[in-house]
Amino acid sequence: MRRVLVPVTVVTLFIVAIQLSIFSSLRFAGVVVMIVWLWPMAMGLAGLTALSLWCALVAGIFFDTHSTTPFGLTALVALVLAYGASRLGREGVGDLDSAAWWVTPLLGAAAGFVAPLFFVGASFLTLNFSLWRNSLFAAMVVNAIAFFLLARPMARLARWVGGVGGTRR
Amino acid sequence: MATDRSRRRTWTLSLAALATIFILYLTTGIASGLRSGANIVVTPFSWAVNVIAHPIGHLLAGTVNYSDVVAQNEKLRYQLARAQEKANQSWAYSRQLQQLTTDLNVPFVGSLPTVAAQVTTISPTNFASTVSISKGRNSGILVGMPVVANGGLVGRVTATTPNGATVRLITDTHSLVGVTFKSGVTTLIVSGHGVNNGLAATSVPLGTSIVPGTKLLTDGLNGGLYPAGLPVATVKTVTLTPGAATYNLTLQPAANLSQLSYLDVVIWEPAA
Repeated sequence: MRRVLVPVTVVTLFIVAIQLSIFSSLRFAGVVVMIVWLWPMAMGLAGLTALSLWCALVAGIFFDTHSTTPFGLTALVALVLAYGASRLGREGVGDLDSAAWWVTPLLGAAAGFVAPLFFVGASFLTLNFSLWRNSLFAAMVVNAIAFFLLARPMARLARWVGGVGGTRR
Repeated sequence: MATDRSRRRTWTLSLAALATIFILYLTTGIASGLRSGANIVVTPFSWAVNVIAHPIGHLLAGTVNYSDVVAQNEKLRYQLARAQEKANQSWAYSRQLQQLTTDLNVPFVGSLPTVAAQVTTISPTNFASTVSISKGRNSGILVGMPVVANGGLVGRVTATTPNGATVRLITDTHSLVGVTFKSGVTTLIVSGHGVNNGLAATSVPLGTSIVPGTKLLTDGLNGGLYPAGLPVATVKTVTLTPGAATYNLTLQPAANLSQLSYLDVVIWEPAA
């Protein structure tokens, strides 16, 4: 893990930068696609539990520093997605080599759909009761579609950066 | 299959992460320090991404939209000429107004100084309507100051750094603006309904003579967050739910919030 920690951290920071510079201004139906959530999830699907949690924490915290939503909330959602995905990844579900081609995109779509909902749900813990008034359903649908499309390339990048070989089981 | 050791390590990492986030919640001071620290770390990466992404984006946009840009440029030249003509005419009026407001000791935004700033970033998330601007404390901008642009109220400064500030737009779900119209007798509360949903006002008394097209201005009540007379919104629809004792209004912001490039921070602080 230590061997890949630095490259993974650097790539995570680049993902945050891409999120802030490109995806946050490139809105689809007024919705921002949150690749800072997809990246730790992809890392989790590669079976790299500790690394995916690290990515989630770094991506989430650094993204939160640029956002006015409650601090740490993006990181919390990323951590939950990363943990859930890593459980599946360890069982080989979503493995790019062994599972059917549509499994990873479908898992991505499911994650993209529930992540905004979880974000709003978690905001209640911070006594923030107004976030649901934003276009929540649109955010869920657009993120689901975007995650479906981006899940495989992101998973491929995660496996490459994480040093996961093609034959790992 | 995961070993006990790796499982323990995973749990420890998860708990440590959650504990860190929770502690940061409780200690706002650390959180704000961390924000600026993390900004410094991300900035070089953002710069690198921008160096690559912006020229590509500009090339694509230029190729696709060239004729539109030319047409828009001609239209803007015409509008600029018209605006200059009007500015010359209104100079005398504004001097007269300034004199009158000074004589009457009435605070009005027309007589308040402003600081022009450029919008640097638009909210990166789906759940907050904010923009970052290029000027901050070094230019005299303080938390709480109102921000105007494109013909109306845009929002309010919520955070500042020496050379930047964050503005919460009036469409943010945390935004509330006290407004009035026509005679100034009735006051309403306009609330933001999210990035894509605009503004609304609820619980408007039935006796209020409000119709679509009515313009709403800040009420400027003593202790309020905004000075009097800033255009906030125009009434789009007036809805009366059967059985309800009040109207609900949907509103169109006076300022075009989707086209924010430059804005003016009004150098005015709410009364303590």
